[in-house]
Amino acid sequence: MDPREEHARLLDDLSRRGFLQRAGTLGLGGIVLAAVPAAERLIAATNAEALVPLVSDSALQAFADTMIPGRKTSRTDLGNAVQAGAIAGVDKRPGAVEADALALYRHPLIGFNALEPAFLADLNARSLQQGGTFVSLSFAKRVEVCKGALAFSNPDRLVWEAAAAVPFTAFCAAALIPEQTAKKASGYRVMGLPGAAPHGYRRFSYRKKLSKERTRRGWLK
Amino acid sequence: MSPTRVDVLIAGTGFGGSISAYRLAELYKAAGVDPRNIVVLERGRRHKHTDFKQSMHVENLSEIYELIQGQGAQVVVARGVGGGSALYLAASIRAPHETFERRDHKPDDGPDRRIWPHQISRRSLNRWYRRAERGLRVNRPSWKQVSKSGGLWAANLAELGHTCDRVPLAINPKRCQNVKWCHTGCIFGAKNTVFTNYLASAERLGVRVMPNIQVESVRPSSARPYRYIVDASTMDNEGPNPSRQSNGSVQFECKVLILACGAMGTPPILMRSQNSLPGLSSHVGRHLGVNGDHIAAIEYDPKRVERVLGLKNYKDFHKGKPITTMTYDFWVGRRSHRYDGTRFNLQEIFLSSLTNFLYDDGRAPFGDPSWWGLQKKDAIAHWANRIELLAMVEDTHDGTFYATPPTGGGAQRANAGPLAVGLFNYTLSEQSIRVREAANAAMKKIASHKRLGKFMKLTETPGAYASHPLGGCRMAESVDLGVTDHSGAVFGHEGLYCIDSSIIPTSLGVNPSLTISAVSERCASILVHRGKELGLPALPEQYKARRPREIVGERRKP
Repeated sequence: MDPREEHARLLDDLSRRGFLQRAGTLGLGGIVLAAVPAAERLIAATNAEALVPLVSDSALQAFADTMIPGRKTSRTDLGNAVQAGAIAGVDKRPGAVEADALALYRHPLIGFNALEPAFLADLNARSLQQGGTFVSLSFAKRVEVCKGALAFSNPDRLVWEAAAAVPFTAFCAAALIPEQTAKKASGYRVMGLPGAAPHGYRRFSYRKKLSKERTRRGWLK
Repeated sequence: MSPTRVDVLIAGTGFGGSISAYRLAELYKAAGVDPRNIVVLERGRRHKHTDFKQSMHVENLSEIYELIQGQGAQVVVARGVGGGSALYLAASIRAPHETFERRDHKPDDGPDRRIWPHQISRRSLNRWYRRAERGLRVNRPSWKQVSKSGGLWAANLAELGHTCDRVPLAINPKRCQNVKWCHTGCIFGAKNTVFTNYLASAERLGVRVMPNIQVESVRPSSARPYRYIVDASTMDNEGPNPSRQSNGSVQFECKVLILACGAMGTPPILMRSQNSLPGLSSHVGRHLGVNGDHIAAIEYDPKRVERVLGLKNYKDFHKGKPITTMTYDFWVGRRSHRYDGTRFNLQEIFLSSLTNFLYDDGRAPFGDPSWWGLQKKDAIAHWANRIELLAMVEDTHDGTFYATPPTGGGAQRANAGPLAVGLFNYTLSEQSIRVREAANAAMKKIASHKRLGKFMKLTETPGAYASHPLGGCRMAESVDLGVTDHSGAVFGHEGLYCIDSSIIPTSLGVNPSLTISAVSERCASILVHRGKELGLPALPEQYKARRPREIVGERRKP
């Protein structure tokens, strides 16, 4: 599609559906807002609002656990509740759910609520093809659902990429942890990243020449 | 509303705006005129070093960054006084000779020619590079100051017979605490941002810096000696819950207008002003580039590193400076024009922990997911064994603003968050793809030598990720090829200048801040010398361009 038409359509979609008002704030990479037109397509195709599961918290947590799987736990880093059955428990280390992916989905600066109805409807529809709601599926079947949805052949892949970006941001950036240290952020602990270092580091170098240099000053002529 | 009258209005406080402000302030002082008639506007708020946080918290990122999603590219820009200099990683390298001689370009981009104006070459820029290096206090770290991640990259290269240089940095080695948190602003005041040198010195001389004002459009003034009326918005950036949206409007009238809002900011201002500025080049908003940025990572095997490279204590890659080493081996020896568009340089870099999302390590069995799921979790758990690489390749400038950006900045914003949708498209040309593939192949060969490590390429999501946007108002020989001449003067509009990254016409092969600074020093000097023609003070005999003072300000002392 011609970019101008695509843009006109984007603005039209945003205005018509009132997504901007509902979104509050959008903050997670361009990916969330860029996915809005695809979300619109999904809504049109599935009458999504009627299908949004009442158990959206557990579905979002189960999806986050499929993206970055973790150990079973009842509380997140910030002390929030983990929904029953959301974590499959296929990994012994903390995962995205423990790193508060759900709270990040709901954070006003992220604006995922603009995409949530469409995403959950598609998640639900694809899960039913595997035999049940997403939360009720085994981890292997959850993976199958996500493989299909995140395939390049899926024209609505952007919505799923946006949904996937949230748990990664929660886990790898500790995006909601006020004091960003490994002690507080389980994602940092798994990565081996200490986090904030207000006192600095002294030992950080091998302290020896490790390669022949090409230039005398550090730039080419 | 009657406009505020000033001699010189500068929009933007990044490298270009700050250097221009300081050099003009020197002129005014030397001529005995009060530099208060030079005003610098900044759309963001002012931060002290102690306002910055070592944090990727979403609210902190919203405060200092803007992430602009175009069609086919995601571009990171800074918001706040100091512009990109507040958040850059301070690598300060002169672009090689070949960069300025390039003749390659996209097939639909005019005749075969040298892309840069003939006045600009590496040789002609050397004196301006020297001046910018002095202003920004660029120094080259010793090997004892090279981080372990940079050292490992150097040792890996040496094992294959390659060379690897230490990267000159605009970082004060005494104040630096080696924590790799440059990307959210340095709390120690160690990074030489423009608000520790050029801009701070300009203010000390009397220049007025006005944060929270965003320039929207420009139109001619008929009240000579004033030439331009500038419409601007006041921005709600302060307080506990800023909307970061416009909450009022202001006007300025000036003799000389310098647009220095960068590649994502300056082109939209001129595009919105096209009806008022007849004869503006049709190239406004075109030829956006990403400096050939292409990132990847290597996950090393600690045992192999110790056995093959003899490096013990393999850890602590989160410590040190974010950029310290770089190889030029894939550039040198390719001097003739037949190599244009094929060269690249490879630099070790620390971007942030969030970039985990971008790498596809390919460790999963064929058909299984490798950028999410259990395999990806394993890759993340090995993050501490990983270094990141930035290839800076000779690509073409593949982006175009496809519609006139709305007021309130160059992009659509829904709220106070860091996300905006940019009205530009970015489709990598064949050359841009080919040279990135060549860089991938080179990095993979280096990483997998003697099974030292595993190459992790960028996830195959289409598009470019860029923190070095360039172009949109490129300099050229004539109005039918670009927007400004070699001095940043907009063709056909006396007293209107673009002095920032938007006039850089090609990717550079190195991190761009020093070249933007050198070009800005050159443009500012030409402007200072012709000030009298434009209604500014005449250049007195005793005028001498001096090194800006270092004014660090309040900072955290460990």
